[in-house]
Amino acid sequence: MSLLNFTSLDFDQIKETLKQYLQSNSNFTDYDFEGSNLSTILDVLAYNTYITSYNANMISNEVFIDSATLRENVVALARNIGYVPRSKKAATVSINFNVEPGITPPPTTVTLKKGPVASTNQFGGQSFTFGVTKDVTKPVIDGVASFLDVNVKEGTVIDQKFPYSTNNINQRFILSNSGIDLDTLEVYVRPSATSSLLSSYTRQDSLFDAVTGSAITGDSLIYYIQEIEDEQYEIIFGDGIFGKALSDGNVVEVSYIKSNGSEANGVSNLSFSGKCTYTRNAVENTVTSGISLVTANTPSSGGDEIESVDSVKKYAPQIYGTQNRALTSNDYEILIPNKIYPETESISVYGGEELVPPQYGKVFISIKPRTGDFVPNAIKENIKRDLRKYSVAGIVPEILDLKYLYLETESKVYYNTSLAPNALMVSSTILNNINKLAASAELNKYGARFKYSKFLKVIDQSHESVTSNVTTVEMRRDLRLAIDQFAEYAIDFGNQFHISSMDGFNIRSSAFKVLDIGREVYLYDIPNTDKKTGSLGLFSLDAPGSTTPIIERQNVGVVNYNTGRMTLNPINIVSGKTKDAQQIMEISVVPESNDVIGLQDLYLQLDTSNVEMVVDEIASGADPSGSTYTVTSSYTDRKIVR
Amino acid sequence: MPAQRVSKKFKDLSMSFKFNPLSGDLIALNNENAIARAVRNIVSTTPGEKFFDPDFGSSIGEILFENVDEITAISIQDEIRNCLNNYEPRVEIIEVNVKPNYDENQFDVMISYRIVGVDIPASQLEFALLPSR
Repeated sequence: MSLLNFTSLDFDQIKETLKQYLQSNSNFTDYDFEGSNLSTILDVLAYNTYITSYNANMISNEVFIDSATLRENVVALARNIGYVPRSKKAATVSINFNVEPGITPPPTTVTLKKGPVASTNQFGGQSFTFGVTKDVTKPVIDGVASFLDVNVKEGTVIDQKFPYSTNNINQRFILSNSGIDLDTLEVYVRPSATSSLLSSYTRQDSLFDAVTGSAITGDSLIYYIQEIEDEQYEIIFGDGIFGKALSDGNVVEVSYIKSNGSEANGVSNLSFSGKCTYTRNAVENTVTSGISLVTANTPSSGGDEIESVDSVKKYAPQIYGTQNRALTSNDYEILIPNKIYPETESISVYGGEELVPPQYGKVFISIKPRTGDFVPNAIKENIKRDLRKYSVAGIVPEILDLKYLYLETESKVYYNTSLAPNALMVSSTILNNINKLAASAELNKYGARFKYSKFLKVIDQSHESVTSNVTTVEMRRDLRLAIDQFAEYAIDFGNQFHISSMDGFNIRSSAFKVLDIGREVYLYDIPNTDKKTGSLGLFSLDAPGSTTPIIERQNVGVVNYNTGRMTLNPINIVSGKTKDAQQIMEISVVPESNDVIGLQDLYLQLDTSNVEMVVDEIASGADPSGSTYTVTSSYTDRKIVR
Repeated sequence: MPAQRVSKKFKDLSMSFKFNPLSGDLIALNNENAIARAVRNIVSTTPGEKFFDPDFGSSIGEILFENVDEITAISIQDEIRNCLNNYEPRVEIIEVNVKPNYDENQFDVMISYRIVGVDIPASQLEFALLPSR
């Protein structure tokens, strides 16, 4: 019998294989008994095989980026295809304070020195320090230097110097700290230790200058960076052909921030801990009094952890696949979150040719940022500018605002009273679980799908007392209104509408006012006989809560029930519902399918979920025959307004 | 009562790794000699010494650093009995006798056992235990 299964990674299995071999090939018998000498020899042999198998397995795994597990190997493999993993990001906060040196005559300027500026110790028990990597100088006006909107970053400012010597042929420039925010890295080279000249070097990722787009020459003051072991970084200078080479005696001076990443997000309570100076008679003096309290404009944000191994494994080959150009929609979806705007939580990109009517040569980008609902306009311009590096002829990128498709659910949950302490406890457990689902990655992404059956399951499995639930789903969109002007509106739901009644009133809206109608009006629809399209009109109510509509205007727009698109003819809306300081109109409809998808640039959000508890009288034993059982309709109740 | 193993022949390697001058083969231990060797091996193995079997062996090594007296002797006796019951199915223990030898600072061990399934007189194994190998 030959040795089988020699690649096994299980010691016992290897030993068993050896025993089977001896069983058929040897006249020794005692290998079965653990106390025997032969068993000890088998132990040694099996252990040796086990170690060899383990090593072979590790080596072959760590050679490929897909199967590598150790960070330094994944990073090294990503380096081969030109990928530098995202570094830790320091949280940033914009602060204001005044300095009144109280010196006569007052100095002309006050300088906030590089290093720590403000700190806190009242945030979750952990203390954070915020600092600047360069001196900030402000003029003194009327005896006061105002430091307004100074951006300070969380972490410790660290300086490192490397004297360069040609004698040391293996010299490396390793930043000997982990947790470095590479965005704060400043690299300078001094010709010699005694020189006062200082040349600033810029970071590059390719052989073309990122700013000017021109090729890098032997005189370019540039450096490259790569991640090495233990989440540390190494600086690589040019060789005289691509980038200026260092010469003997040069001193490399670097400064960077070692940060705590996302832990320092949300800090706003800061006190001054920096150093301000002024110059008098060519002597630098420290300001010892007159520094006001520090106020933060908004809580600190933007802190993030170093890119995870999984993320490197996923994105490094994809970035390589784009070959530094944005051509297909997939290229944009990879380049923007990784190279341009790391604050992206989710992104959807589609070509203009998919639109109705098509807009050829355009690509539409919607970005959901990590913080907030919309990307600020200034950042949109930055993204568009940065995209130029990757642009190809004939494609114009357009960044669109996020369009939310809200889902509203109404659940009637039947429960067994003998298994639940009270209805409130069960309903709050259910709502908690629904909120978890609403916050999960499954929903919070482009191209997400609301899975109705999963939703029912979440409710059913929330508590042992829940016997069943009846849930209805509605879709809602908030139409932003152009107040006091004639405007045409079109709004897409991306999902087919359900026509409950051919008499209309399938679409419900919030109240709004239009020019020349004194009362608040609402939208209604009347389906055509083809059941595909319909017309829209306006109605009012004689009293709040009334169910009798008074038709005010007909044919103010059209609705396509199949595509889920509504269009309003030019209409002058004078007021609507106020939400987040915006005038909006809420429009809700029942989807044809309870599985709702977020099509193209629609971003699905589970908005409101109502849970009403109903006693299951059959399961509780109160009424086993079910004669007083409370029946719940599986269809949305027919209200005509929101 | 558990089914008893019926053995016919036991053959193990000798750890001396010497050659038989006639045949040129490695010297082998047979039957009761092989079992006696196994019994000694089990008793002198410290738990954790054997790969992937952390319970194998006996803790006599630790007990030997206690005072040389009757109480320690009883502990050794129990330990030997337990480890042989657990790891040597070929023997049925008749008696384990451990005596403190105050003059030599050692314990004299006598294990008497019957080989299961073999119709031969009971064997007796005697050795001295010292807190060193």
